[in-house]
Amino acid sequence: MALTFKKGIHLNEHKNTSGCHTVRIAAPEFLYIPMRQHIGAPVTCIVKEKDTVTRGQTIGTADKALGADVHSPVSGTVERIEYLADASGTRIQTVVIKNDGMMTPCPDLAGYEEIYGKSISEITAQELSHIVRKAGITGMGGASFPTHVKISSAAGRVSDIIINCAECEPYITADHRLMTEAPEKIVKGLEIIASALSLSGGTIAVEDNKRDAVKLLSEAAGQTPGIKVAVLRTKYPQGDERQLIRAVTGRRLPAGKLPADVGCVIFNAATCAAICDAVTLGTPLTERIVTVDGDCVENPGNFIVPIGTPIRVLAEHCGIKKEKTVKKIISGGPMMGTAQYNADYPVVKGTSALLFMSCEDDRPDSLPSLCIRCGRCVNACPMNLMPLYLALYSKAEDYDNVIRYGVTSCIECGCCTYVCPGNVPIVQYIRIAKPRASAILKARSSQEGK
Amino acid sequence: MAYENDNLLTVTSSPHIRSKRTTQRIMLDVIIALVPALAFSVYRFGVRALMLTVISVFTCVLCEELFCRIVRRQSTVYDLSAVVTGFLVAFNVPVTLPMWMLVLGDVFAIVVAKMLFGGIGQNFINPALSARVFMFLSFPSYMQPTNGVFSEYIGKLVNADVVASATPLTQASQGTAVSLQDMFIGNINGVLGEVSALCLLVGGIYLIARRVISWHIPVSFLATAAIISLIVPSDNFGRVDFMLVNLLGGGLILGALFMATDYSTSPVTPVGKIIFGVGCGAITMLIRLFSSNTEGVSFAILIMNLLVYYIDRFTMPKPFGTGRKDRAGKAEKRA
Repeated sequence: MALTFKKGIHLNEHKNTSGCHTVRIAAPEFLYIPMRQHIGAPVTCIVKEKDTVTRGQTIGTADKALGADVHSPVSGTVERIEYLADASGTRIQTVVIKNDGMMTPCPDLAGYEEIYGKSISEITAQELSHIVRKAGITGMGGASFPTHVKISSAAGRVSDIIINCAECEPYITADHRLMTEAPEKIVKGLEIIASALSLSGGTIAVEDNKRDAVKLLSEAAGQTPGIKVAVLRTKYPQGDERQLIRAVTGRRLPAGKLPADVGCVIFNAATCAAICDAVTLGTPLTERIVTVDGDCVENPGNFIVPIGTPIRVLAEHCGIKKEKTVKKIISGGPMMGTAQYNADYPVVKGTSALLFMSCEDDRPDSLPSLCIRCGRCVNACPMNLMPLYLALYSKAEDYDNVIRYGVTSCIECGCCTYVCPGNVPIVQYIRIAKPRASAILKARSSQEGK
Repeated sequence: MAYENDNLLTVTSSPHIRSKRTTQRIMLDVIIALVPALAFSVYRFGVRALMLTVISVFTCVLCEELFCRIVRRQSTVYDLSAVVTGFLVAFNVPVTLPMWMLVLGDVFAIVVAKMLFGGIGQNFINPALSARVFMFLSFPSYMQPTNGVFSEYIGKLVNADVVASATPLTQASQGTAVSLQDMFIGNINGVLGEVSALCLLVGGIYLIARRVISWHIPVSFLATAAIISLIVPSDNFGRVDFMLVNLLGGGLILGALFMATDYSTSPVTPVGKIIFGVGCGAITMLIRLFSSNTEGVSFAILIMNLLVYYIDRFTMPKPFGTGRKDRAGKAEKRA
């Protein structure tokens, strides 16, 4: 019996690239490295124009708790430092590196055993947190939460480590390829995290549409007691941490709480492999697997892409079909990914996929949005909300009722908007209402404090 | 390259894909589900039944289009909801009703009950049913189906005088088993859409199979009516026969499957739907048992329509992780 959660939706999977072996993409001449690729404050840039950098050298250090270092993925020189707008429209300090093509590695990089002189099984949570922060590892599933914060907040509080290999978004197969091509890295990463948190092992959770990965992971984990592979039913949003915890442990994590509050800590598959590399070899996070797909792409596939590579380079590498017009470039999956406004923005740590969509089969833009009260959103919402009322009250700017109907619990998974026959952009209404609602809640709690 | 002109890129809030199920597709399914009942009605009452339906659909669509134009709103005719309303208004009138009365009913349904409150999804009472009640109160004698089987049965129960208006049903009541079969298949008189329980059930099962409606409202509505009619003693019938007469007659099945399940005027939560269905069933039976009125179903649904907002609010599900069980679990942990 595959594990699962309540509600949610079944999507057309479009996992076209699950058989595409990863291909390494040559680093382009110019790489654009934003100084904020995670949730939290931007990091401090420590290089100047015309500086020479080596591959893996730190170019931005995180001085705030919520941050992760940023490294150069190639050797070369700093061409310029400029402010470029990211997908959210915020201008972010970006280091432009001119690639010299030599790939000279940074001499300072070394694995845990070399630096600390101990075997990896003796690693402590503090040491792991430090290494992870220095290696610039953030959650690679899309949310980009700095991983070291997770590790230090989990220390001593959690009983279950879950490696999130659900990959429930359509199209994306980057984690699937990682699982089939390097299952031992994921297992090793989990072992490292487990020894740092003084636990015997953890759970690798995979959706049942990736049977080959389940088999390979079980084989790789075969020798290690305590590590088990859990099979999840293929349903969206299985990869959401709340639904994952519910499916694997049966615990229910309410909004506003962290997984550690119910004794869980979750790492994405790619994050786990990056932790393995950082600890064993000292390699910082400077490249990642990206799925390139969508109906406009000539040769879709999975690519190992240096961080900072502009989207345009990947589009040219894969080819865009002549007869199609790209209407949307989506970074991430079609359910929660961000639409890009041009092809110049680079691949960052959280970019799991790039989709070039013509949106030909979509509903016409001219269709009005009218709620018919069918209740499909209520049946789909994995957080058990009534999205139609959230949209209604958000539209009416009635924030008291938005709060009453539980806006703060919304995870913005998009199920409600996907199933809505009346074309209502429910998630968008919720996103508009959320900051207002939390401001009101904050004011209320401070009043109560007095 | 095709994406070179970056100005053409569309930037929207996620999600970027949507299901194929649009309002139009849902309404088309409802129309498909109504076709068997329409076909039977044409077979039973003749071509005039078809004419009434066509006129009714045409009037509803025209009213909606004109209304949208007058108030300068984007036309919503494409979504086919006006077509469904047109069908249902026609299904609620006897075949003998003069055309102009039907047209007036359609205007009431679309303009007064639906569009004046904001159109699809905004109306708080069922347009077709409110039109039925409007016509019933305005043209009572024309709205009574001649030889209506159900009014006869009920009339006999409640008020012996009513039976005086006498029809073939007096004969029918002598062999209830046969007439129950007739009621199920539809060899009875009544308004256009209500006669054949069989055809309505076929349509209803199609709607449930296509997941246009859920089972909650029809099942709880019918079950409540069935249970109440089983409990209440009847002089003229055995308990089971009385229950079956109540279920098969008076447009109960039409109401439970096609009227009470109207999205705009029914609750959105499963629990709410059951409360709504039970309420409809109970009010229907109250009206039938204590009044000679055969309008039990219409009034019951309209009354429950008015409570939908409160039912929704009352049955608001607890957000994930904040339910009673979760709190109990936490208390355990603390202890």
